[in-house]
Amino acid sequence: MKRQLFTLSIIFTILPLFAFGVHKYYISLTQVEYVQEKASLQIITRYFIDDLEHALEKQYTETFQLDTDFEIDSVDNYFKKYLSKNLIFNINNKKRAFHYIGKEYEDDIVYFYLEITQIDTLRLLEIRNTALFKYFPEQQNIIKTKIANKHTSFYLNKQKDKGLLKF
Amino acid sequence: MKNLATLIFVFFSISIVSAQETTVKKGHYNTSKFRQLKQDLPTPNKQHTASGAPGSDYTQQKVDYVMDITLDDKNQKIIGFEKITYHNNSKDPLTYLWVQLDQNIRESHTKNDEVSTRGTRALYSPKQFSKKFLTNDFDGGFKLQEVKDSHGNDLPYKINWTMMRIDLATPIAPGSSFEFSIKWWYNINNYFIDGGRSGFELFENDGNKLYIIAQFFPRLAVYNNVEGWQNAQFWGTGEFALEFGDYTVNITTPSDHILNGTGLITNLKELITKKQYNRFLKAQKTFNKPIIIVTQEEAEKASKEFSTKTKTWTLEAKNVRDFAFSSSRKFIWDGMAVQLESKKVMAYSLYPKEGNPLWEEHSSRIIANTLKEYSKFTFDYPYPKAISVNADRQGMEYPMICWNHGRPKNNKVVSDRLKKGMIGVITHEIGHNFFPMIVNSDERKWSWMDEGINTFVEIYAEEKYDSKLFPTSKYPKNIIGYMAGNQDNLTPIMTNSEDVKQFGSNAYHKPAAGLFILRETIMGPELFDYAFKTYANRWKFKHPTPADFFRTMEDASAMDLDWFWRGWFYTTRNNDIGIKDVTSYRVTDIKTKRATELLKKYGKNIDEIPASLYLVSEKSEEYNRVSTTKKPQELKILEDYLKENNISLKDIDIPNYFYEIHFEKLGGLIMPIIVEYTFEDGTKERLQYPAQVWRKNDKEVTKVFTSSKKVVSIVVDPDQQTADVNEANNHWPKKAENRFESFKTSTIKE
Repeated sequence: MKRQLFTLSIIFTILPLFAFGVHKYYISLTQVEYVQEKASLQIITRYFIDDLEHALEKQYTETFQLDTDFEIDSVDNYFKKYLSKNLIFNINNKKRAFHYIGKEYEDDIVYFYLEITQIDTLRLLEIRNTALFKYFPEQQNIIKTKIANKHTSFYLNKQKDKGLLKF
Repeated sequence: MKNLATLIFVFFSISIVSAQETTVKKGHYNTSKFRQLKQDLPTPNKQHTASGAPGSDYTQQKVDYVMDITLDDKNQKIIGFEKITYHNNSKDPLTYLWVQLDQNIRESHTKNDEVSTRGTRALYSPKQFSKKFLTNDFDGGFKLQEVKDSHGNDLPYKINWTMMRIDLATPIAPGSSFEFSIKWWYNINNYFIDGGRSGFELFENDGNKLYIIAQFFPRLAVYNNVEGWQNAQFWGTGEFALEFGDYTVNITTPSDHILNGTGLITNLKELITKKQYNRFLKAQKTFNKPIIIVTQEEAEKASKEFSTKTKTWTLEAKNVRDFAFSSSRKFIWDGMAVQLESKKVMAYSLYPKEGNPLWEEHSSRIIANTLKEYSKFTFDYPYPKAISVNADRQGMEYPMICWNHGRPKNNKVVSDRLKKGMIGVITHEIGHNFFPMIVNSDERKWSWMDEGINTFVEIYAEEKYDSKLFPTSKYPKNIIGYMAGNQDNLTPIMTNSEDVKQFGSNAYHKPAAGLFILRETIMGPELFDYAFKTYANRWKFKHPTPADFFRTMEDASAMDLDWFWRGWFYTTRNNDIGIKDVTSYRVTDIKTKRATELLKKYGKNIDEIPASLYLVSEKSEEYNRVSTTKKPQELKILEDYLKENNISLKDIDIPNYFYEIHFEKLGGLIMPIIVEYTFEDGTKERLQYPAQVWRKNDKEVTKVFTSSKKVVSIVVDPDQQTADVNEANNHWPKKAENRFESFKTSTIKE
C-alpha cells in the first residue's frame, strides 16, 4: 500500500480514510544533560529531516532543500526560530532561552546542539516540546534527561506537551 | 529420640523462617523464550502442512472476468458490465457467493466516520467544513443496476456495506462452475479531496484529468482453506484478498487518451499512430534505455483536444488476482525490455510532463532493476510487463501496474530527497507484484506479510539501483527509535491490519528489519535465501498464511527460529544487551586461596592433590602474590605434560590472558551476542555467540575469552546489527563519550 508523504492539503481534506503516510514512525528525541561543574544544560535534539522540512515549509512558506546542494544559506536562522518557538525550557520557574550551537546531518536525521548556561543550581526543570505536532498527528517527542547521574525519560504528544522534573 | 525431635523442630523452624523471609514460588508453565510455537500456530493439516508447504488437499478457487468498461471523462464516471465465471475448486458445495464492493467505503454516510474517534480540529478549509458539517456533495459508492444469472434471471442479493452476498437457488457443487453478470456504475472520486487509492487528479492549469482506476468492479471475495469466506469488511487499512483468474477487459475512453493496465493490450496497433507503434516495437528490443513511445510533444498536443470521439482498448491477462488501469490525455509513455534469467519482459512508464525531468530518466530503469533483483530472491517475474504510473501523492500497487508519486518542483528542482522518494516508491510498488500479487497472502488480515516482506526485498533492490542514496548500513538500526518507543503505542506485528498502531513501522519497517537481521546476522545469506526462495516458490499463485512462512523458513534451513518469530513478531519487546562486568585472570602454578577453599569444601587438602594450574582473578587480593610473568607454556607442570604427551605448540596461539565477560540482557528479546575484542596492539577479533546462549538464563550469561594478547576494550554489537536500543551499556571499559562536548569543540575549531 501507499507510501505517501503527508502534505498539508491532505490534512485539509479528510484525514485519510485510507492509509496514512506510512514510510516510518513519527518521533523525535531530545537528550538533556545537566553538567553541574559547568553550570550548563547540554541539549541534543533530533528530528527526521523530511518531517522537519515539511513543517518548516508550511510554517515559513520557503523552500529549504535541506541537506542538499540547494539548501538555502539562512537555514540556521529558521531552525533557531522554529526550535525556540517549540522547544521551551523553564528552569527554576523562569523561562530560559538556549544558545543554538549548531546542527549535524546524519542519514535521515538532523541533530541540533543547544545549551543553556549559568545554571548554578537546578531545582525545577520543565521541558515543553511541541515540534511537529501541528503537522503530524502521530508525532511523539521523547525527552531523556540525565541530571545528577539520574536518568529520566518521558514522552510528549499533542495532548501532553510538557513534563516537569523536581530535584 | 530427643535428638531427633530437636532436629525436626529445628528443621521446621528454619522452614518457617525462610517462608517468612522469601516468597515461595509456586511453580509455573514453561516460560522459556525458546519453547516451540506449536500452541500459537494453527494445527497443520493436509491443506497447510507442517513443513509450511501447500498440502495434497489444498484447494483454491478460480474466478474469470469478461468486462466492458466505459470511462466517462466528462462526468467522471465509470460504467461497467462484467460476466463472471466462478470455478468452485473446493470440496465444499457453496450456497452463496460473497462479492466485494470496495467503492462503498465512499458512500456519503460511511461506517468509517462512525468509528472515527478523532476530535475537532483547529482549522478547516471552507470545503472541508462544508463536507464535514453541512453536506457531502460527493455521491460515492457502487450503483448496482443488475445482478443476473447466465439465463438473464435476476439473482437475489444482500448488501452489507462493502460486501454483497449473492444467494444461489442451487449450490455450486465442488468442481463445477457458475456464470453470472453484474451491471453497475459509480462516480469517480477526486482523490485529492475524497482520498483513496484510486480516483483522478485534476490539472487546474489545462483542465485535464489523470485517472488511476482500481477497485472499480465488484470482485469475488476469497474462499479458502483457513477462513472459509474472507468477507471481512473493507475499513480502509487492511487491503485486499482476491482470487486468481483470467481477464478480458474492453475499456472505452476518449479517443485522445493513452491507457495502460493489467495484461496485454491486444489491439494496440489500431489505437496509436504508426509512428508510435514503431517506437513501441523498438522498445521491445531495447534493453539499455527507455524508448519514448508517446512523446511529450504528442501528449501536450492531445491535452488540448478534448475529443468527443471514443476508442476501445482490449486487455487480456492470465492468472492475475485483480485488474487496474490508468488513462489520461496527458500521458507520455516510454518502455524498455528487461532480460531476466529465463525470459524477457517489458518495463513501461506513464507520466504527465509534470513528472519530468525525473521520470523519463528513472522510472522504467527502476522497474527493470526491481524486476531483476526481486526475481533473484524469488522466481523470474511471470507476467509479461510491469507499469509505473506517475500519480501525485500516491503509492499503490496492482498486478502489473502501480501508482507512484514524485514530481520535481517547477519541472526543475530534483533534490536527492525527491529522487530518493521516487526510487523508493517505484521499487516498493513494483516489488508488490511479487508480494502479494503473486505470493498472495491475505492483506485484509496481515499487512506485514506483503508490506513487510516486500519492504525487506526492497532494501536490496534499492541498494542495487543507487547504493549512495540507499546504503544498507542503515538497517536494522532504522527501527531502534520505534522499538524503544512508548510501549502504549506499540502492537505486535502479529496484529490484524486494522488494529495496528504506527502502521508504517509496524507493518513495513519492523518486519523488514527483522528479516534483515535474520538474513545478515542469524541465518546468513545462503541459508536464508534458499529458505526464502522456497517460501516464494511454494506459494506463488497461492494463498499463504503467517504459519506457512514461519514453518518454511525453518523447514528449508534446519534452523529453529521459533524464538525469533515469537519475540520479533508476537511481542513488542526490544533488544538491549550490555556488558555488566569483565574479570580478567592469569594462570599460575602457585596455589590460590580460591582453589584451596574449593578443595576444602570436598574435605581435601590442596597439598594432597597433584600439582595443578590455577586461574587467579585480578580482582583478588592475592593477585600480586601469585601472579607470575611466566607464560602458561613456561610453567613447569604444563611444560612437562606437553612433552610427555608429545603435544606440539606449533601454530597454536597460546592464551596468556583469560577473561570472564558477564553479559546482561535488559531487553526482552533474544539475540545473538556479537562481541568485538580489541587488543593492546590495535588488532581486533570478532565473535558471535548464538542466540541459544540465552537458553537457560534470560537475564545474564558469562562467556570466557582467552588470548595471547591483552584485551584493552570490548564492544557488544559494534556494527549495530541487532537493533540494540541502548548503546550506552555496550562498551567495556565504559565509554565516556559525550557527543555534545565533541560537537561543541569541533564548531569552535572551525
